[in-house]
Amino acid sequence: MHRRLALAAAAALCGTLVLSACSSDGGSGDSAKAASGPVKLTFWAWAPNMDKVAEVWNKAHPEIQVSVLKQAGGDDLVTKTITAAKAGNAPDLMQAEYQALPTLVSNDVLADVSKQVGGAKSQFADGVWKQVTLGSDAVYAVPEDTAPLAFYYRQDLFEQYGLKVPTTWDEFAATARALKQKAPDKSLTTFSANDPGLFAGLAQQAGAKWWTASGDNWKVAIDDPATKKVAGFWSGLVKDGAVDNQPMYTPAWSKALNDGTQIGWVSAVWAPGVLTSSAPDTKGKWAMAPLPQWESGASVTGSWGGSATGVTTGAVKAGHGDAAAKFATWLNTDPEALAALVQQVNVYPAATSAQTGGLLSAAPEFFSNQPDFYPKAAEIAKGTASAAWGPNVNVAYSAFKDAFGKAAQDKGDFGAALSTMQQATVEDLKKNGFQVG
Amino acid sequence: MSATITSTPRASRHRPAPALPRKGAAPRRTAWTPTLLLLLGAVYCLVPVIWVVTAATKSRQELFTTFTYAPGTGFWDNLAELSSYRGGVYWQWMANSALYAGAGALMSAAVSGVTGYALAKYRFRGRSTVFNVLLAGVLMPPITLAVPQYLLMSKAGLADSYWSVLLPSILSPYGIYLARIYAEAAIPDEVVEAARVDGAREWRLFRSVALPMMVPGLVTVFLFQFVAIWNNFLLPYIMLGDDHKFPVTVGLYSLLQQGANEPAMYTLVITGALLSILPLIALFLGMQRYWRVDLLSGAVKS
Amino acid sequence: MASPPPVPRAVRRRGSLAPYGFLGPATLLFTLFFALPIGFAVYLSLRASRVKGLGLGSHARTEVWAGLSNYTSALADSELLSGSGRVLLYGALLVPTMLGAALFFALLLDVPRVRFGAFSRLVIFLPYAVPGIVASTLWGFLYLPQVSPGYYLLTRAGMSGPDLLHGNGLYLAMANIAVWGGTGFNMIVIYTSLRALPAELYEAARLDGCSELQIALRIKIPMVAPSLVLTFFFSMIATLQVFAEPMTLKPLTNSMSSTWSPLMKVYRDAFVQGNIYSAAATSVVIAAATLLLSFGFLKLVNKRANGGS
Repeated sequence: MHRRLALAAAAALCGTLVLSACSSDGGSGDSAKAASGPVKLTFWAWAPNMDKVAEVWNKAHPEIQVSVLKQAGGDDLVTKTITAAKAGNAPDLMQAEYQALPTLVSNDVLADVSKQVGGAKSQFADGVWKQVTLGSDAVYAVPEDTAPLAFYYRQDLFEQYGLKVPTTWDEFAATARALKQKAPDKSLTTFSANDPGLFAGLAQQAGAKWWTASGDNWKVAIDDPATKKVAGFWSGLVKDGAVDNQPMYTPAWSKALNDGTQIGWVSAVWAPGVLTSSAPDTKGKWAMAPLPQWESGASVTGSWGGSATGVTTGAVKAGHGDAAAKFATWLNTDPEALAALVQQVNVYPAATSAQTGGLLSAAPEFFSNQPDFYPKAAEIAKGTASAAWGPNVNVAYSAFKDAFGKAAQDKGDFGAALSTMQQATVEDLKKNGFQVG
Repeated sequence: MSATITSTPRASRHRPAPALPRKGAAPRRTAWTPTLLLLLGAVYCLVPVIWVVTAATKSRQELFTTFTYAPGTGFWDNLAELSSYRGGVYWQWMANSALYAGAGALMSAAVSGVTGYALAKYRFRGRSTVFNVLLAGVLMPPITLAVPQYLLMSKAGLADSYWSVLLPSILSPYGIYLARIYAEAAIPDEVVEAARVDGAREWRLFRSVALPMMVPGLVTVFLFQFVAIWNNFLLPYIMLGDDHKFPVTVGLYSLLQQGANEPAMYTLVITGALLSILPLIALFLGMQRYWRVDLLSGAVKS
Repeated sequence: MASPPPVPRAVRRRGSLAPYGFLGPATLLFTLFFALPIGFAVYLSLRASRVKGLGLGSHARTEVWAGLSNYTSALADSELLSGSGRVLLYGALLVPTMLGAALFFALLLDVPRVRFGAFSRLVIFLPYAVPGIVASTLWGFLYLPQVSPGYYLLTRAGMSGPDLLHGNGLYLAMANIAVWGGTGFNMIVIYTSLRALPAELYEAARLDGCSELQIALRIKIPMVAPSLVLTFFFSMIATLQVFAEPMTLKPLTNSMSSTWSPLMKVYRDAFVQGNIYSAAATSVVIAAATLLLSFGFLKLVNKRANGGS
């Protein structure tokens, strides 16, 4: 018996040796190894099917091979990458949401690739490009997708309950209350304390600039009047029970969208993808409208998410900076790549040429009832308010979840929650040695 | 620490612990009340299991619309979708889990065996200190160790490799504790002495005399460690960047957390969750005869 | 092993170096994967990150000595204390219920003439094999009134179920997952020590006309007390380290803060807010408290045991 055990142990050990030998070149790029063969790049992304887009590149560029390592999306991915970078294991390329860029830059994860990708500037809207330069001369990433906010609603149910599509937030509130009166078990939407990105987008629309830099000082204005207005607005709706107060992206929420318990959704241009998998029974019943406005007749919107492709300092150190930058540029500006991004990854590309061109001429299948979906989205996107991110968005976001979660559950005061969020953000900056003024 | 655990005052008067209910007792009527209460407990334990079995049969459309305990029609579609996701990476996750848990538990059983034997059968300076320090390891919250382990592993150039998950899983304070108890009970001192008198060297003595006697105990250590590694999430999550090296727990998590513009793939997660517990159930059923939980209660029959 | 049995001289003499050799692998692994990381964590807990200027651009951050400042702020953070309070409350609900149920089922299994014993035993043990993340995901579905079959049936019957994902219901929800996952394991531990008791013990009691209940209360339970102490100890440690379950339930509810349990706070600091230094300090504090509690508990039990005998 023991002989067999020992044999098995030895076999297992050999097996793992072989495996680890295979795996050792799967990590971060190693220049010595790459010198002989093609450059091998690793790309951390959470978007599904990104590997299929990389395949297109790999076929056409045998000298630079990109392998996509799919990650779990979410708040912890940023820290995971920072830790990896600190330990010298960062991937060569990474997908990062715009709000994470300052954090990544301040932790020395992303490299300045202005020399390699600067030429692509003209392909993007100014506001979008500003997010990848952080207002400096450097360029830290190439914009991949943008996510302007819009209002989605169930056309059939709006008709059934005699509701008008709201164009202002006042109308939105009135619509929510009217629906409650007509169908008490239904809600126009929910206020989700788990999605700080949406709240940030709504605050942007109202004119908030959460982080601004002047000289060497950061200014944090999370509790500025614009954000207070937004918080107060939703606070009122939640308090009266006019909208639901449970988080989004839960099975319960999926069901509510699917069976028409929630008949509207403030979301970004990527909503069709989410609805396709969360509410499959409602195909062809939704429509997109511009986000309700604070001032009647205006056409401003904010963003929820959106991401860029960054080149890491690790890649530059390993001598792969140029190759990685080349791929990042290709991925987000080349017509073939953009086509693959749109069709496979379901993103709304940041490149302006792709937004209006033939690529997006057909509406998403789920919205076949709205053939002008993408022209309309492009129209909405024009009014995207610029975002102002700082180096500790992650802290602000986690403070949002805790403070607003409690407030939403208790149907309490969102203003106090906002102050908590502001305070936590400022304190964290000070603790790290930032000058806050 | 050892005192409370090992000093259960039992010795020769043990009746053997049979695997089956006692048949010798008077064969009268069934005791219905205890039987029903036990079945009630079993039903409670099956509630989520039956749910996941039925939920895995539901297509995306059915998942949230049909009454949740009614089976659906989409199992094969779900299975096909799960298998084709990223070129069948799910099965790679399962294979990885099997590798991490299998190889890790095997090495763990080996190390626990040799350590437990030394602690049980030798008296030497520092013995109880060694044991207490090793056991204190079980009190360390894994999350405390995760980041330092990662940073150190990176320094050694092993982060994001199979080794980074395997190596830290080998040492199991719990396994050492079990092996020690088992060795104390299962290896009579006289046998060891007799072998020594025959001139056996210490290593040979361990290998050819002690180890065979410890096998049932080590099988138990193997099983516990297998489950512990299979179910581990934090260590692989932090160590690994390449999703082709993920174990199934981290893989499922990556299906749940897709980022804001991609909702969780519930049908895939549910089907994947069901499949991920099957190997463990099979393992326990298959090895039911070999493992010795009685180790845990200190009631080892020698 | 308060008083080790007399040792044969031969063992002491001839094995003088051998045991150290046998301990080699474990010592090496312990040093590399426990001691070194713990030391590193302590080191990190004394460090902090400081930025220059706006903190943008490369090399904007440097690591500096922080002295004990991470510790003072960890201890001053009221969330650590209230998190500990929540975990203790959760433990107070969980551990007695789980061990009570485990003891109860073990005693039932030990009753003569029980049918389907092997089946029940296996099924009650089954949840042990389910990873915490999977278990919490499954229960999460069952807790959400909108998608849960339990609530569906209750609504059909004209009743409304308890709100398990908010307020105090959350403790029930959490404890239930752990009870589900842990009862079977503890039941087996207790059951096996019941099986190891000599049968003569109850034969006499039965002849005296004791009922099975009386036998259980008067003979069996006192006899398996050491197993209960052991299961209590390990359940207590598992409770203090609760992590995967609240993390998985968190996205489903507004009521679970990111600092619900002390370990979740460590996770938030390290992995959401990116401050490994303060996370290291907090985790050193938690580890020290756990050590103190565990060894204190063992000392207490030992004293009791010694005083009793």
